Amino acid sequence: MSTEAYSSTVPETDPAVLAMSRQGLAARIWHYRRFYLFISPFFFLFAVFGLYPLVFSLYLSFVSWDGLTSPVWVGLENFRTLLLDGLFYTSLWNTLVLGLLYVPPMLILAFVFALILNQQWLKFRAAWRAAVFIPVITPGVVIAIVFGLMFGTELGLFNQMLSAVSAWIGLSFTNVPWLESEFWSKPSLAILLVWRWTGYNMVIMLAGLQGIDRTIYEAARIDGASRFRQLIHLTLPHMRPTFVFVTIMSLIGTVYLFDEVFVMTGGGPGVSSTTFGIFLFDEAFGNFRFGYASAAAYTVALAVFLLTLLIFRTNKAGDK
Amino acid sequence: MPLLLRNKNSEGGSSEISGANERLVLYLLLIVSAVAFLVPVYWLATSALKTQSEIFSSVPTLFPWPPRGENLVAVFQQTMLFRAFFNTALIAVIHVGLTLLLCSMAGMAFARYPQAPGHRWLFAFVLGTMLIPQAVTMIPVFVVLTTLQLINTYWAMILPGAASAFGIFWMRQYIANNIPTDLYDAAAIDGASEFDTYWRVVLPIASPALGALGVLALIAVWNNLMWAFIVIRTENMNTMPLLIYLLQGEERTPYGLIMAAGLIATIPLVVAFLLFQRTFISGLTAGAVKS
Repeated sequence: MSTEAYSSTVPETDPAVLAMSRQGLAARIWHYRRFYLFISPFFFLFAVFGLYPLVFSLYLSFVSWDGLTSPVWVGLENFRTLLLDGLFYTSLWNTLVLGLLYVPPMLILAFVFALILNQQWLKFRAAWRAAVFIPVITPGVVIAIVFGLMFGTELGLFNQMLSAVSAWIGLSFTNVPWLESEFWSKPSLAILLVWRWTGYNMVIMLAGLQGIDRTIYEAARIDGASRFRQLIHLTLPHMRPTFVFVTIMSLIGTVYLFDEVFVMTGGGPGVSSTTFGIFLFDEAFGNFRFGYASAAAYTVALAVFLLTLLIFRTNKAGDK
Repeated sequence: MPLLLRNKNSEGGSSEISGANERLVLYLLLIVSAVAFLVPVYWLATSALKTQSEIFSSVPTLFPWPPRGENLVAVFQQTMLFRAFFNTALIAVIHVGLTLLLCSMAGMAFARYPQAPGHRWLFAFVLGTMLIPQAVTMIPVFVVLTTLQLINTYWAMILPGAASAFGIFWMRQYIANNIPTDLYDAAAIDGASEFDTYWRVVLPIASPALGALGVLALIAVWNNLMWAFIVIRTENMNTMPLLIYLLQGEERTPYGLIMAAGLIATIPLVVAFLLFQRTFISGLTAGAVKS
């Protein structure tokens, strides 16, 4: 038993392994049986809840199905309907606007906090880090209800604070209808999202900063480079893979955003905050148009996938 | 060089700010930010200890004194909060345990046997599916759960996310970077079986990565409202997020009860995070994308 386990870890240059590779696939698979044994529980569950749904979902996008009666093959009808569905475009537009409103400030804030919390002299680092990260671990539904109250037009904390500040500087202030106007619903959500997800991105960026080899800064300091120049010429280029990672995570997170919007605005007023996640959920589990929702999900997932590849490619190209 | 060693040397990698005034400014900035990040949570905690009319008073009470325990008592009496808490905790424990087990076993296999036939193909496949969001598979997963008659059971919440592509990627990276081949060989010479090696050698070394993945999986499953909304059908099966969501009324919402339930739902995660903060951060750091 023990010798077998030993031989399985010998590099392939070993004569025994080379001989075995000539024995054919079956023998090699048998030789590596522990590999398959150890990955099989994962792949079993993955097949049932990842792979099969993926294929089944593709099939569903070509049928009309309410989940109860038997599915009817409709060919490309779902995609045709989708391309003419005004609400689909509205939801994509809302998602884009919301993303542009919250992702840039969130990533910039996260980077600034990561830079500060990475300073060696800083006291209570764990406490500061926890303060920024606590919004991430607070249940989204709770946060959305709390922010819903704070965004109240008459008695909400935000308007009370704003009116107090304006009175103090001597400006007149009319209550902002945060959740009651089609204009303000997206900025309100953006404020909630920046608050909630900055800590998550900050932790990833902190990890990225700590992965930078410290000696490069010492060399720069000896050369007399200012802190600002070190930031521009050393930190930012080294942080590039991290930035690419958080950008892609934010892209995916925005497209499929659900809990916060569902609870705080429910997609309204009107359809002003109906993001793609809300649209998809409504079609699937509100209207039970399983086929149509699958077509929408596949179309957008493909677009997101291509966009992600594009981000990777442009960054690879930029490296050279 | 193993990542763990590199990280120790390079902690605090970026340039240091040295002026006393600049440091003071940064501390002030941090205090203001910390307050901004904590106000809603503080507001949640204090509202749970207020009466309904106090929650809506035009002058917000910063320190509700004396604190009122009514909401905390009432929420247990008027809702199935205890049951919902139990459901959520049970689901979370099994889900996190299963995720860590599956992902670390497969992660070790992928790290240890790069020459196994199909290794490259299988791993590339797992990586590819990382970009496929839950939204695409949510209808078929719902159909699968219906077919298996698992709707409105704990398994409907536990199983779907447990085979996490991200998790397997994460564990493989960490194990491949931190466990040299010699260590497997040494374990084998000592007569350890494959499972012994996994349990006694790999898992202890991989504990920071397990901690980080565990915290992330815990946050996701504990807070998941959408999936609970889809697969949970009866009050006795409610999770905490679903219970809180459903407390909102058409006409009048009992905010006092919601705040109390919200506070109770939040505390375990905050405690878990504070306890595992060190492991979580160091695990994330070790697994971070390398430049």
